[in-house]
Amino acid sequence: MIPLNWIVGLAAALFAIGAVGVLIRKNPLIMFMAAEMMWNAAALVFVAYARSFHAMSGQVMAFIIIGTAAAEVGIGLAIIVSVFHHRHRLDIDEVSQLRG
Amino acid sequence: MAFALWPEYTIVLGIFATMLAIMIGSRERTIVGYWLALAALVASAIVTTVDWSSRVLPVSLFHQGVTVDAFSLVVDGLVLLAAVGALLIGWNDRRYGTDFPILLLVALLGMMVLGMANNFIVLFLGIELLSLPLYILAASHSPGVSGEAGLKYLLLGAFSSGILLFGLALLYGSSGTMVFTQLDPATMILPLAGAGLALTVVGLVFKLGIVPFHMWVPDVYEGSPMPVTTYMAFGTKVGAAAILLRFLFFGFSLSVDWWGPAIGYLAVLTMIVGNLLALAQKDLKRLLAYSGIANAGYVLVGIASHNMSGARALLFYLLVYGLAILAAFAILTFVAGERDSVSLNDLTGLVYRSPWLAAFLTIAMLSLAGIPLTGGFVGKFYLLQAAIYAGQPGLAIGLVVGAMVGLAAYVRPLQRAFAKPSGSESIEPIRWPIAGAIVLIVCVAGTIGLGVYPGPVVHIVNHSAAFYWLK
Repeated sequence: MIPLNWIVGLAAALFAIGAVGVLIRKNPLIMFMAAEMMWNAAALVFVAYARSFHAMSGQVMAFIIIGTAAAEVGIGLAIIVSVFHHRHRLDIDEVSQLRG
Repeated sequence: MAFALWPEYTIVLGIFATMLAIMIGSRERTIVGYWLALAALVASAIVTTVDWSSRVLPVSLFHQGVTVDAFSLVVDGLVLLAAVGALLIGWNDRRYGTDFPILLLVALLGMMVLGMANNFIVLFLGIELLSLPLYILAASHSPGVSGEAGLKYLLLGAFSSGILLFGLALLYGSSGTMVFTQLDPATMILPLAGAGLALTVVGLVFKLGIVPFHMWVPDVYEGSPMPVTTYMAFGTKVGAAAILLRFLFFGFSLSVDWWGPAIGYLAVLTMIVGNLLALAQKDLKRLLAYSGIANAGYVLVGIASHNMSGARALLFYLLVYGLAILAAFAILTFVAGERDSVSLNDLTGLVYRSPWLAAFLTIAMLSLAGIPLTGGFVGKFYLLQAAIYAGQPGLAIGLVVGAMVGLAAYVRPLQRAFAKPSGSESIEPIRWPIAGAIVLIVCVAGTIGLGVYPGPVVHIVNHSAAFYWLK
């Protein structure tokens, strides 16, 4: 059996990669993918602890995270595609009519 | 007991009815959706008051997943007000598509769920139920500016939800439970619990728009359609503040020193920086966005003071802020007309075009600034009182300094509105859509009413935030 700490460490690494990805990448699709990676890291932690506690609640949470992520991907891709149709390029630095 | 969740069930029924009506109806009958949504909102408000007067609360349901108590009912009332205001401001406007009332109701359901969450799962579902429809609404107007606002909101929303989720996962790992009231800081594994709490608070504060995490707010507010901005400025702030209060007060009430100072510093920083940035804005939607950031800072004062008067002051302040911001956005919608943005120059000579609008704008802005005889003053007064009761003079000083800077920011649009027109501006009279006019008049009357005679609302709020473990 894989020790719990390893799994949590792996999840932390995934979370960090995802967070860095959102912050440094320029393509909205890749940024969105990196954000989903952060969600999945959290789901992994929930599942790992649920197994060690012999409790179901963490696994329920993991399923809910997966379901919600699917809904978010549906909406997110629709918005990204509509912005792409408008500009024919995808670069977050060019999507900057609104000055941040 | 059985009635406890009826305000939410009413909204769910309303969503189905609105969806069906829009699917069955032809293109010309879009107005039916608005009427059904309004009916659902009114019915839900009536059920909420019935719940309130039945006095059988609080109730814990779904294995302590949700707690319906006086606090959650007051949050229900606030978000219903936000939804009615946004619906009427965008009433039957062809620009926003037929889906506007449905998505508004779904987001409303998320906000109501946030008010009663007592469990990580419900917290997360509430946040997502609130955010997902708002991504669509923000992008609904046009693929240009509005699409950009939707895209930014989506990316930062997904990012902050990721942070929130990882924090919740670590808290679950360190405590072994998902229920707020079962979290016991004394038995938690410390570094894990600390990291989890920090990430969770950062995720929630992102949604509330507190200063180091506020960059998305002005862009999203500027790009979104006007009624959607109204809804985000009032409704989402109520939902995020309610869940932050519940999470910290129910879960970590015994270990205030873990989070109290951090929230306090964030509050002071937000109040001052938000108001300073509002000073430099030319676009009125951006000005109100920074004003919303600063007001979120005032709201945090109620959480940071961690006593009963703080929780009461927070609920009261959310109401007066909401009334003022609804009135301000109704005026902006009238002035904007067919366009979707209003700059300071568009306001020049407003008093000559429409004296009543100028007078109402004055009242809304003075309430946001916190001048006596408006609700904003009373709300800030209660927050100040809570900070001083909590023995945190730094919070009180920050609030006063922030309010002073804010006054300068809110006076600028007024100065334009009362200036003599130079001749180049449009001088045609402004149309008052009847639905928006109702919102405007009710909100202005409420703002003045709460400033002159806050007694009844204070009584309700005092009753609703009576958590027994607080001083």
